[in-house]
Amino acid sequence: MAEVGTAEKRPFTAPLSEGYLVVDRKKCSGCISCMLACSLVHEGKTDLSLSRIQIVQNPWGCFPEDIALAICRQCVNPKCVEACPTEALHVDAANGNTRTVDGSLCDGCQVCIDACPYKPSRMIWHHEKGVAVKCDLCGRAPHWIEKGGPKGKQACVEICPMRAIKLVKEAPEQEGDAGYEVNLRNEHWGWLGFPTD
Amino acid sequence: MGYGYAGKILRLNLSNRSVSTIDTAQYEEWVGGHGLGSAIFWDLCQDKTVSGFDPRNVITIMAGPMAGTLAPGSTRCEMQGIGPQGYPIEWFTRSSFGGRFAPQLKYAGWDGVVIEGKADAPVWINVINDHVTIEDARGLWGLGTRKTQEEIWARVTGNRLNDWQAVGDAYTTQKPAVLCIGQAGEHLSRIATVMHDGGFAAGQGGFGGAWGAKNLKAISVRGTGGIKVADSKALIDTWLWHKTNFQFNVDNPRNEAPIVNFTDYWIINQSPGAVPIAPIWEPCRPKGCQGCPVACSRRMASGLANEAHCFTTNWPYLGIIPPGTQPTWMTPGEWAGGLAEPTDIHGLAKARYRTTDLLNDYGINVYDVFFADVYFYILFLMDAIGPGKAINCDLPFDKWGTEEYKAAYLKMIAYREGVGDDLAEGLERAAERWGRRKDDLESGLLPYPHWGYSEHNDPRAGVDQEYATILGDRDSNDHSFDLPTHGIPRVASISKTEPVISAERLVGILSQKVLPLQGDPLMFDYSDAGLYSASRAKTIAWGRRYARFWKDSVGYCDLLWPNFFNANAPDFSGYTPEGEARFFNAVTGKNISFVDGMEIGRRTWNLDRAVWVLQGRHRDMEVFAPYVYQVPSTRINHFPVYENGQWRYANVAGRALDKDRFEEWKAKYYELEGWDKITGWPTRSTLEPLGLGKVADELQRRGKLGG
Repeated sequence: MAEVGTAEKRPFTAPLSEGYLVVDRKKCSGCISCMLACSLVHEGKTDLSLSRIQIVQNPWGCFPEDIALAICRQCVNPKCVEACPTEALHVDAANGNTRTVDGSLCDGCQVCIDACPYKPSRMIWHHEKGVAVKCDLCGRAPHWIEKGGPKGKQACVEICPMRAIKLVKEAPEQEGDAGYEVNLRNEHWGWLGFPTD
Repeated sequence: MGYGYAGKILRLNLSNRSVSTIDTAQYEEWVGGHGLGSAIFWDLCQDKTVSGFDPRNVITIMAGPMAGTLAPGSTRCEMQGIGPQGYPIEWFTRSSFGGRFAPQLKYAGWDGVVIEGKADAPVWINVINDHVTIEDARGLWGLGTRKTQEEIWARVTGNRLNDWQAVGDAYTTQKPAVLCIGQAGEHLSRIATVMHDGGFAAGQGGFGGAWGAKNLKAISVRGTGGIKVADSKALIDTWLWHKTNFQFNVDNPRNEAPIVNFTDYWIINQSPGAVPIAPIWEPCRPKGCQGCPVACSRRMASGLANEAHCFTTNWPYLGIIPPGTQPTWMTPGEWAGGLAEPTDIHGLAKARYRTTDLLNDYGINVYDVFFADVYFYILFLMDAIGPGKAINCDLPFDKWGTEEYKAAYLKMIAYREGVGDDLAEGLERAAERWGRRKDDLESGLLPYPHWGYSEHNDPRAGVDQEYATILGDRDSNDHSFDLPTHGIPRVASISKTEPVISAERLVGILSQKVLPLQGDPLMFDYSDAGLYSASRAKTIAWGRRYARFWKDSVGYCDLLWPNFFNANAPDFSGYTPEGEARFFNAVTGKNISFVDGMEIGRRTWNLDRAVWVLQGRHRDMEVFAPYVYQVPSTRINHFPVYENGQWRYANVAGRALDKDRFEEWKAKYYELEGWDKITGWPTRSTLEPLGLGKVADELQRRGKLGG
């Protein structure tokens, strides 16, 4: 119980997202087609700085640590939404409760970028528009013919040639990375000689 | 400039350290990559007869319009200029590499880089978007290619890797893409590469030495811009068309290898991670160039030989079983069996991969050191090399094939120590120094059929690569035809299975797809008669046009394009000729056909030909080394042949080329191209309709216009 005279800070809560991207770090081939596709469907151009998914690599790194896949986790308790002073970052009920930026409300303060607890931050700075942008599970991707969002398709999932990105409906374990970094490999991957464990 | 382009080309004169810009639109008719490079070289290299080491040599590094967008296998970057490796003339030549350099270059706002002159001290070029600086490279000189790249990353990013980094108003998580030379290039080796990331190399041509001669250590590019595409919806749709119908489905493949971990089978089904060729011996992932669905290379748990492939990962497996017998390829398991003491297979694999990394770190062209390695061993057996021998060399031949031997061998080449000084000239020039060249080209001990470059395939078997090379500038390294025609029966032979497709059906697919020369199955007849036919002239012409445009100019990768046969498609019919233009038009918004592209390729091939003519090319020079005509091939090579009214795969071993018939064939080829049959020079009536009237004028001024 809070002491008398002090404000109790209640945990920030938001309706659960209806979809989450999970990835297989050991299956990714580092081709970054997902980044190209993401920026393409959202921006009409391929632009790695504006991709909502970021793949960071070291050519001489040791498998599997040579690649990190930075996807927005659509957090159960989204720090970005909590931190936004203008309510630009909001839970988009019309798009399956994805955590989304309303660009018209964003004043470019970048607080959300710092608030994201993951590195690299899953909040993306759109340097041309002066606003923050983020993964909306392609719910509002103007340069794509498909319906996106948790009930639709996501460009990164569709494009990935290794089928290393997947949409799930249940919220993954929030603690650590294990809920979001999953094993999507089957016996055919093993037949090629690659590890399946 | 339109969709798919950055719009400008970076022009650097290292002599006076000036930086200027060329508007890409000036050269739009050449589309990109090789076409841009050839046209700019034609305009800017005033004396095309100089050495590749001469400050007047002009080196171009050009991206294509697809690089950095979303088209499968389309990020090849094309380097051109006078290549020191060529022999007896250092031909104007090309070399391309994958990875992510071309995309980063375009994201920085540049379609290419032109390098002129020579710096008075070592320099590296730092490109961060529009900001270009010529930096002091004295602290980098002497470093291998890995350390060079890591040092530049640290300098450019302030060691802030793996997180967002501010670049002006924008941010990026991506490392700068660096292209650089190692010690071999610094020592002006004619077999030095230019390296990028772990294993992407501009190998053939000797451009590493050409960079070294310009005192150019590295070019680093970092961009935070984007590439606008004309129709993103169509581009995504085309990718999904390609993925659904033609890509290997890693979760549920339509066509799977008959044996586990059988990497050679990628030739059939384009499965990922296979082009290191050697089986997978430790946990790893497939690794793709930017935007590539095939992902032909690997990254390993040990971090060794990351991103390296093909010959660079295979050559280190060359050894002897048991010691004293002929050289042979060896798996780590065979190695263990061939050694006296029980040995850790994985440890041996790692030893080989360390050799791969050493090779790439020095920046040495594996093709030449592979053939020189075998050549040395045979000379050793002949008692012709060793301390105090005809070729005085203190390499430990009793340890030939081991990591220790290969390390000593590579070091002497990289630093030009002892006979390494000869080998750094390329093996054919080295053999000339040792007084062996003539005899060994007669016997075939020196398997260098053309222009100072080794065999790629056996020139007496499949012939397409070697014909293309003798009519061109360097090892053509073009697998358009041999992947299906030779690869399919070869894989069947290795796995002791039936070919996945009959010779007749394969040839039927091929001959339907080679627009605009379709409808002639005899283009793919590798019988004796087929080597000298008018149909073969069409095969070579088609290959050159396709390579010059769709591969070298647009930037499509040789492993994915063209795609005639495709085991992931239900009818085995690949995505050529539909895919090429579909992706191209979606990105650029142009509306060209496949055949339009082939015509631009013909135009570019003619411009290149004109440069070679100015350098001294004449049909009399387009002759293979004597052994190709005199010594029958002994290697097993299966290809489709048409005999007695039937198609079948046949072993074509046992034949040599017929010199007279090859000379007659050349006349057929020149006629097809519209070149003078006596000289091999392009004619005005061929050049002018291609819009190359000024090229015809220049040839005429030099007395070298075909009649």
